[in-house]
Amino acid sequence: MSNQAQSSSGLTRRTLLKAGSAAAGAVALGGCLSSDDGTDSGGADVSKAFSNCWMCSHNCGQEVTVVDGSVVNITGVDGHPRGSAGPGTEGTLCPKGLAQQDKTHDPKRVKEPHIRKDGELQKVSWDEAFEYTADRLVSFADEYGAETFLDATSWAETSIFRTIWRDLYGSPERISRGIHVCAGPTFVTGGMMGVGSNNRVPDYQNSDYIIAWGRNQLNSFAGQFEAKGTLEAIENRGATLVTIDPQHTITAEKSDKWLPIEPRTDGALALAMANVIIEEELYDEDFVENYTYGFDAYREAAADMPPEDAAEITGIPAEDIREVARGFAEAAPRAGISVWTGTAQMGNGWKATQNITALNGLVGNIDRPGGLRLWEYPGTASFGQVCEQDYTNRAEFREPALKKYDEYSDYPVRHIEGIAHNLVPEMVDNGHINGIVVHHDDPLKDGNADEWVEAIEEMALVISIDAYWNGVSRNADIVLPEATSLEKDTLGTGNWSAYPKHKWVTGGKAAVEPQWNTKPDFDILTGIASAMAEKTDNDDWRIFEQWDSHEEFIDDQLSTLDLTLEELSSGEKNYELVEEYDYEKWKDNDNFVFRFDLDQVGSFAQAAEEAGMDTAPEWIPPGTYGDSTSDEYPLEFYDVRSVFFSHGSNQPHERLRDHFAKRNDLNEEDYRGNYLHLNPKDAEPRGIETGDMVQVESESGSGELMAHVTENARPGFVTAEYGFGETSATPDGEGMNTMTLHDKQMDPITGQVDRHIAVDVKPAGGD
Amino acid sequence: MAVESEHWVFYFDPNRCIGCHACSVSCKQFHGRGSDTDDWRTVTHHQKGTYPDVEDVPLSMSCMHCHDAPCEKVCPTNAIEKRESDGIVTINRDDCIGCKYCGWACPFGAPVYGDDGLMSKCNMCLGRGPGGGADVEDTPKHELEDQVEPNCVSDCVGEAIKAGPQKEIIEEASQAAAERFRSGAVANGRVIVEPLQDSTSAVDGSVGGTKEVTTPYNAGD
Ligand code: SF4
Ligand code: SF4
Ligand code: SF4
Ligand code: SF4
Repeated sequence: MSNQAQSSSGLTRRTLLKAGSAAAGAVALGGCLSSDDGTDSGGADVSKAFSNCWMCSHNCGQEVTVVDGSVVNITGVDGHPRGSAGPGTEGTLCPKGLAQQDKTHDPKRVKEPHIRKDGELQKVSWDEAFEYTADRLVSFADEYGAETFLDATSWAETSIFRTIWRDLYGSPERISRGIHVCAGPTFVTGGMMGVGSNNRVPDYQNSDYIIAWGRNQLNSFAGQFEAKGTLEAIENRGATLVTIDPQHTITAEKSDKWLPIEPRTDGALALAMANVIIEEELYDEDFVENYTYGFDAYREAAADMPPEDAAEITGIPAEDIREVARGFAEAAPRAGISVWTGTAQMGNGWKATQNITALNGLVGNIDRPGGLRLWEYPGTASFGQVCEQDYTNRAEFREPALKKYDEYSDYPVRHIEGIAHNLVPEMVDNGHINGIVVHHDDPLKDGNADEWVEAIEEMALVISIDAYWNGVSRNADIVLPEATSLEKDTLGTGNWSAYPKHKWVTGGKAAVEPQWNTKPDFDILTGIASAMAEKTDNDDWRIFEQWDSHEEFIDDQLSTLDLTLEELSSGEKNYELVEEYDYEKWKDNDNFVFRFDLDQVGSFAQAAEEAGMDTAPEWIPPGTYGDSTSDEYPLEFYDVRSVFFSHGSNQPHERLRDHFAKRNDLNEEDYRGNYLHLNPKDAEPRGIETGDMVQVESESGSGELMAHVTENARPGFVTAEYGFGETSATPDGEGMNTMTLHDKQMDPITGQVDRHIAVDVKPAGGD
Repeated sequence: MAVESEHWVFYFDPNRCIGCHACSVSCKQFHGRGSDTDDWRTVTHHQKGTYPDVEDVPLSMSCMHCHDAPCEKVCPTNAIEKRESDGIVTINRDDCIGCKYCGWACPFGAPVYGDDGLMSKCNMCLGRGPGGGADVEDTPKHELEDQVEPNCVSDCVGEAIKAGPQKEIIEEASQAAAERFRSGAVANGRVIVEPLQDSTSAVDGSVGGTKEVTTPYNAGD
């Protein structure tokens, strides 16, 4: 079906759409609208605009149809680097991306700025909100010190968050997604081993052998190109797809082979694969000899893990381990491993990802077609390059509290990271963090929820920049309502994509005016800056005044590519492939070395020693750093993603929640929260049936949600989608905040939240 | 009347369907239909087996715009029309009396009963909203000006759905799918369906029958 875009008749796919000019489209839409409301709206004002989707922050291109100021349809952009499978293929939007249409006009959004007066959040004008924010920031700095203000701003359509909170306000404390709550071990080991933090996204389309390792990339993707690229490789190249996952997912369903692994034993499986590959001399000797470091230590660790031993640990038969090891090595270098959160969100995640990443070096699939790609960003201008004004960088020589104070000397993570999500409540108790700004995120569902809820209450200043009411905004002192990406000028500068040899940019101008009294994040931040300039009499805060609008700032960023936002988003598409780059960059890079053993990385060596682990690959059993199941808590819990939601910010959307319920065949129930997926073998003895409300309990917390009994679930292993329940943005808080079960379990090296928790489950209200 | 090969059909490839429901969501958004109304396009998930020998196959279905259109035949007021030019089946809501006969007659549960007491269903995006397309002149969709590709097709993440005149769509299908369609083996020759690869499961067979395909939550009654 690769020819579907070029049907001889010219009828299929977008040609129909493209045939209609905007003006003709107006007539067609007018006609359609008239059938809806009975009035003739033939004269409706119809326009088309582009945006890039930030529902999960991965920039799939969006084409937006607007009638009389409302978004009436939204679809993908053909050939888009993140939203399509590449040149000549359809661009689409996943359910989350489609929901941006609903989000923009959602009456549940925060519609006005609010500040807390007499204990209550009250509506105020933007001017008053900005002035109040500046007042509070100034008095906070006087009383507690700006360095104790935590920047918890997440995905943004503008890059100036860092300039505001770090450079100008002066806080070295920064926590975001990524390393802390997403896939710290994956990102950080990749960097230390020499392949960068993009070691998680292979060159799908060109691959002959794809391993989805703890990933469900056909349903839980970082840009739709992942799902599409995988399907293309299967269809066009006859690629083999192998999924390693305790759960049966749609990716497992489409796989040639699914290895239903015992949770948290991925490190043993990876070592056993290395054992086979080394023993059978299937590895890339030239690459190992000339471009790697520490092979002997790796060889020893692998020798200790014959497939038969790994079979005991992982529950995967030795012959399956051999088959996959051989298949992967023989297809190399056109063999890619896709990893992300699944192998990272566990206490022994560091070694699991180190062992998995090592396999890439072993077979030499580094930066080769179909293997692990060393992705590159386009050369847009940085803030420093386009800023024509000087300012004093106030955070530059300030050390984060975790590194500075003795209180944290027991945490090895302090050698690697400046902060860890789970440690924030403790830092609040110690007075090392006293305030927070949160943007488009809900840290209360990312780890030790109960402690975080208390910490937010304790903090002296809480600023929320968000589109919805959630656990942070409801408890904030200042709430600044943010526009959706369809209401903003946007610029995305990607790296990994459906174009493995091109850097690219994507962007668009606001499709509609900000609805109600909301503002794009750029305008919110520059509003705060101007108020700070007035309040402090410090002209450093005036640096943003050199740009009249976000579009001007974006144009400055694009100037190095000789592009403007207008050029980028007029015409048939809203992306540009800007520079080409080649494979095998390490060949002419004398500094490149792939490290199997990390003993040369001083910070890691120190952290590893304190954590009691080796610097080379090794097998670390589950429970060493996290939970172990017991008689009291015999089930292993893990929280998962679904294609309908991204980090809780889409959960207010009825349409997505309804489809999520349909997907689980539970739409007849009134309940619209998350589900506890469990195997009949665990459900039956407990008297639990699909549709029952159940209580999940761990040593430190509990919660209630609806049971979904399914053979997709591994016996002994129960899962639920995260981001629901208490503190979430769903209007009724339905479902369970999975992190109320959590008690600071983490990977000791990166501080990554470990989401495997020992639990028991019983019918709600029962004994 | 245009020959069957000129009539529009849907195509579905279960091998490319990733069960994401984007088709269903995009259909509702395009037609301005509320979240709580029944789907014109539904995605169902068909599971069988015991862990770890599990199969879980997603199917995306809508009105098939059947060549023999049982719904049209039973409609007492002739509100349902199978267009001669392109075979798209529309409902004229001015004539619909909400008797639900079409919903019962349809083997796929495609027509859905609304709060307004009238039936509505997929119109291949010939028009927008319930009843859309009924007033559009009877010229083949692909020859009409300003026509859009069905929204479910343009938003399908897996590129698993296609729509168009039968002779074009059949050319793009695999030989096996074309043969199964011509022999009427799959859904009585109403939709072109790719055979499920590496599978001899009952789920695949069910596409050919009509039982499991009937989507329980949007049937006419
Ligand atoms: S994957 Fe989906 S939610 Fe994420 S950017 Fe793309 S369309 Fe948006
Ligand atoms: S699928 Fe149902 S509603 Fe559609 S044409 Fe056939 S019988 Fe009629
Ligand atoms: S053709 Fe249009 S009406 Fe029919 S299912 Fe697709 S989107 Fe819905
Ligand atoms: S959008 Fe496509 S891939 Fe997704 S469920 Fe619908 S048919 Fe399947």
